[in-house]
Amino acid sequence: MDPNSKHLEAIQTWMQQALMFPGQAGLQEETVIHIAPSHTLSATQRLAIYQRGYVARLLQCLEGQFKALCHALGKELFDDFAKEYLRQYPSSSPTLALLGARFPAFLRETRPDQEADEKEPWIDFMIDLAQFEWDLYSMFDAPGHEGKAYAAASDSEENLQLQPCFSIHKYDFPVNVYYSAVAGDQDPDIPSPREHFIAIVRKDFRTAVFNLLPPQYAFLQKMTEGSTVQEALNWTAKLYDKPENEAREAWMDWKKAWLEAGFFIANIRSI
Amino acid sequence: MSTDRSHIAQLQAQVAAMPNLGLGLGLRHVHFDYIQSNWPEVDWFEVISENFMFSAGRPRHVLRQVAERYPVVMHGVSLSIGSTAPVDFGYLKALRELAAEVQPKWISDHLCWTGVLGANTHDLLPLPLTEEAFRHVVDRVRVVQDYLERPLVLENPSTYLSFTHATIPEPEFLSGLVAETGCGLLLDVNNTYVTCFNSGLDPVAYIETLPQESIVQMHLAGHQHCGTHIIDTHDRPVVSEVWELFRLAWHKTGGVSTLLEWDGNIPSFEACLAELHKARNFMGQATVAAKPEDPASINYDGVATPISFLLPQIMEDTVTN
Repeated sequence: MDPNSKHLEAIQTWMQQALMFPGQAGLQEETVIHIAPSHTLSATQRLAIYQRGYVARLLQCLEGQFKALCHALGKELFDDFAKEYLRQYPSSSPTLALLGARFPAFLRETRPDQEADEKEPWIDFMIDLAQFEWDLYSMFDAPGHEGKAYAAASDSEENLQLQPCFSIHKYDFPVNVYYSAVAGDQDPDIPSPREHFIAIVRKDFRTAVFNLLPPQYAFLQKMTEGSTVQEALNWTAKLYDKPENEAREAWMDWKKAWLEAGFFIANIRSI
Repeated sequence: MSTDRSHIAQLQAQVAAMPNLGLGLGLRHVHFDYIQSNWPEVDWFEVISENFMFSAGRPRHVLRQVAERYPVVMHGVSLSIGSTAPVDFGYLKALRELAAEVQPKWISDHLCWTGVLGANTHDLLPLPLTEEAFRHVVDRVRVVQDYLERPLVLENPSTYLSFTHATIPEPEFLSGLVAETGCGLLLDVNNTYVTCFNSGLDPVAYIETLPQESIVQMHLAGHQHCGTHIIDTHDRPVVSEVWELFRLAWHKTGGVSTLLEWDGNIPSFEACLAELHKARNFMGQATVAAKPEDPASINYDGVATPISFLLPQIMEDTVTN
């Protein structure tokens, strides 16, 4: 498209490129052609207000969606990654809620030690933390079970199902612990790698994070696939080479807290 | 697409019947807890449509509760009415569904474009005010109104630049839209002041040029004066010059629904309400023309059209076990 064209489509394409890629060649000359100076500012200075605003406001949003990551990286380094992310993946959604959706994957794709034989653990941690924050963010506005009854202790075990706003995750670092510390205005050290399992659940519009033991994760993973409690117990017992009655005893310990937390709803299963 | 005069007259009649809701505030995430605990005395709420259109969580739930208790108006930031990108019917569908649920008194957005080629800059970008742009926006407003089956209400944006080939002054552009589509107007008094300062125009003449009978709502907000230009930051109290313009606009329109926008460094709900209620001091006769503002402080840190307030506070709302 001719950058000097005055047609609306050409002007909009030109201006959007000028905001997203302010360093492009020839921009200053084109700016003077398209934009009028004011009594106090040149055409370039007037365009610069939009250029600054475009980056600044989207950075603010990403900093809000990845608060703990921003803390861990420091604002300057976070913003460097975020600016590059915005260049590669400009928003295409009417809602800002999805702005950071590809950020964890972007960090994975562009990690600074991409070519190195041995990967830097701190980079692994940052990617893990970004993924955790996005996993958490995604649950905030996801379809849930609010307004309807959650399962109670009196419900038959056969009818227990995981509620729709529930997810389980496995990380290589205790990202949840780091996140909680930042939320509590602390400045935690970057943790050492350690396999970490969590469940995220939203009940009555409050999102909660639960640490899980590996067998709990295995059991809940089976249930996310649609298994009954009994099927998931059998599978977990087999996985850990334990007798079924031991798995059942463990389940009875977990069940009360998980029912209270709203993990389950009671549905009559179709035959 | 509806172009016949009787249909436009019908829409204009609908605009004329839009009620004066009184003094309202924007519904913001940071105030959710306070509102749900206190159900405060405020005449009405304006909601940012995009905050709720795609929500299946707490925002939508809070909005349902608010809509049961207060009049609500839906105000959008991503309609992109001036864009040359195809009309996004997926967006319009979600907008219409939300409207069916909360029954807003009207639906508004801005005279702007937000992106092309599949991108959204999340900014309210200025249109070159030309005959080509005018015909384009007229066509798009008609499409949107037909789809939503109601008149659209369009707001004048804050602008920081103008185009060399522009031929139509903004108030005349808006007046023409009203005449050709039957849409209503949301007069943002602060935006008027900001745009006029930044382009060396007279804000009083701007307001006087608009078709007053089509103005159904006004916005008030604070801005940041940078000496050479003004940034529309929505992060501080309304300046006296904007209050004086509001006085004029109130007199000219005979009084319409008025809303305070506070989107950055958002204070308590009570503080927002106190700022809003200052409007009562300016609902008398118009006596003073707007004078140039004397910038109290010069700095360049302000972000135009802040949007971070659109995001929920996940960290604050998450419980860890």
